[in-house]
Amino acid sequence: MGSQGGGDGEEVNMAAWLVSINTLKIQPFKLPSLGPHDVRVKMKAVGICGSDVHYLKTMRCAHFVVREPMVIGHECAGIIEEVGIEVKSLAPGDRVALEPGISCWRCDYCKEGQYNLCPEMKFFATPPVHGSLANQVVHPEDLCFKLPDNVSLEEGAMCEPLSVGVHACRRANIGPETNVLVMGAGPIGLVTMLAARAFGAPRIVIVDVDGYRLSVAKELGADDIVKVSTNMQDVSEEVEQIQKTMGDGVDVTFDCAGFSKTMSTALSATRAGGKVCLVGMGHNEMTVPLTPAAAREVDVVGVFRYKNTWPLCIEFLRSGKIDVKPLITHRFGFSQKEVEEAFETSAHGGSAIKVMFNL
Amino acid sequence: MGKGGQSEGNGAQCEENMAAWLLGVNTLKIQPFKLPSLGPNDVRVAMKAVGICGSDVHYLKSMSCGDYYVKEPMVIGHECAGIIKEVGSKVKSLAPGDKVALEPGIACWRCKPCKEGRYNLCDEMKFFATPPIHGSLANQIVHPADLCFKLPEGMSLEEGAMCEPLSVGVYACQRANASPKTSVLIMGAGPIGLVTMLAARAFGVSKIVVADVDEVRLAIAKDLGATAVIKSSQNMEDVGKELELIKKALGGAEADVTFDCVGFGKTMTTALKATSRGGKVCLVGMGHSDMTVPLTPAAGREVDIVGIFRYKNTWPLCIDFITSGKIDVKPLITHRFGFSQKEIEEAFATSARGGSAIKVMFNL
Repeated sequence: MGSQGGGDGEEVNMAAWLVSINTLKIQPFKLPSLGPHDVRVKMKAVGICGSDVHYLKTMRCAHFVVREPMVIGHECAGIIEEVGIEVKSLAPGDRVALEPGISCWRCDYCKEGQYNLCPEMKFFATPPVHGSLANQVVHPEDLCFKLPDNVSLEEGAMCEPLSVGVHACRRANIGPETNVLVMGAGPIGLVTMLAARAFGAPRIVIVDVDGYRLSVAKELGADDIVKVSTNMQDVSEEVEQIQKTMGDGVDVTFDCAGFSKTMSTALSATRAGGKVCLVGMGHNEMTVPLTPAAAREVDVVGVFRYKNTWPLCIEFLRSGKIDVKPLITHRFGFSQKEVEEAFETSAHGGSAIKVMFNL
Repeated sequence: MGKGGQSEGNGAQCEENMAAWLLGVNTLKIQPFKLPSLGPNDVRVAMKAVGICGSDVHYLKSMSCGDYYVKEPMVIGHECAGIIKEVGSKVKSLAPGDKVALEPGIACWRCKPCKEGRYNLCDEMKFFATPPIHGSLANQIVHPADLCFKLPEGMSLEEGAMCEPLSVGVYACQRANASPKTSVLIMGAGPIGLVTMLAARAFGVSKIVVADVDEVRLAIAKDLGATAVIKSSQNMEDVGKELELIKKALGGAEADVTFDCVGFGKTMTTALKATSRGGKVCLVGMGHSDMTVPLTPAAGREVDIVGIFRYKNTWPLCIDFITSGKIDVKPLITHRFGFSQKEIEEAFATSARGGSAIKVMFNL
């Protein structure tokens, strides 16, 4: 339907709107005017996130509720079309990856550098803020990061999910001395694994219930894989197997699934003084052996999105320390039919890791 | 059976060293306790003040605590202070007559945690009254000199014994980064909740809200300096209501640091929900092993959960806090007993009762 704006015969800016449950429609999307520090970006690559799928299926995600039609999508990269009058760092034609969230820079969290926790955060496709699966968006210049020549626009879009892994690795203090266990080999488990390796983790074991996803993880560089079940009764056996497979102790576990079973396994498998980082958002309430873990000083750290990760992600991609290209398993164009097919593919999971739109 | 023990100074006659032995469930007996010989870096200490800990009571009632099981008779007690009687050949820092507070746990100094400064997590830790290591409710014990901390003039032996529970509160404050910038919520006004509150105050915290189900304990917390106290229930349905009371007590804000000094599903749920994003919940209490808690929403606000296991390097700081008056532990000592068969039984019964009994102390 849509094509780019700009030029004399201005075409209408189109976007993928979440209209209601299971209903996405490509419709016009009127852009705000360009502020002095804003840029207008022509979207070229947009990935689908699990949260986008969740919004599509339920019109909500955690405590965020979609009350009016909202443009979907937030993992994106594109080409600068126009820059605001105060913009010095970017110029039309520049290829950029976008960090989705605009924080307020007035609250305590922002001032202390924890801007990801800003209560007034305006984040692409978190209602009521529109997303970026569109021909064009307007965005602050400081949230658009220039891509080196050897980093593609698709890789630029991958910086967003990769940022989750990078932020998790920072919060969990990953380094050359931390043996890492990753629970879950989905997109987030995989980017976390790639980030952990880039941070220098010497040994990474990844577990999942899905044999195919485990084989993908092995190809992407996991030192070892362990197939696990969804039964709570299997926890102690699996903990033993995991510890044996790791060899030395498990220093940090990333739970990228987020269920009682995975957290219970994580808390029991991690050595005294280690950390469990809860990344996944499977279940809200969990029944876990918290006390024995606390009594071994196994701390639980959480993550909410990321902060200050784009430059590092771009550097990892530029240097080849991280290769995200194998994660992009499916590609679609920007048409009504393809938008619907793409979301179905992503929702299906399994062999679909990252579904990417090329606009 | 009575008092026994070494007579003062270099007396020729040696009385037998007696200790309170845990023989079986609900069975404590004062019996002889043969001391090991004095190593070059050891000291022999005449015990003067020994407090009872919840873990001591737990061992008495069940012959176990956590993953530890009492398989043979074991001397109980670990919160202690006394007077040096004799020092080993290499000991330079202490002399007979010195009043000292004892840190219970002897670490190995060969394992990874020890070498990394986390000796409290030592694989081979030998800790007073954690089986199979004998405790210190005895006339005398032998202990490494480096784990005996000299008490300054003006600091009593009872205050010395209180350094042990106080260390739990101090270490919790360190792990949770309590500071003048952090408002604090404490779940539970028992002995551990109270020492945590005192420690938080000493760390510069100005707003401390304490919640408990017991009004008597809340009154004590208020007397000891809590900014506000909140009566809570044991019903999960009351969490929402209690969160509102907590928020109100904190002036409309959430807590930056919460200490759960109880350790149940309800208290952890309240703690996680009451803590501000980017804050910390420190799980100190050991109520239940498994808990059902809203872990994901907490993690999604970067509310981290830190645990503690005992303490490390806290005695000098505790002694400083007490000597400077920043912390006054004396009000926590609510009951005192002497060292006789009848009294030790009464003392443990009093401690187990809880309620108005905060710290039960033996004077030997």
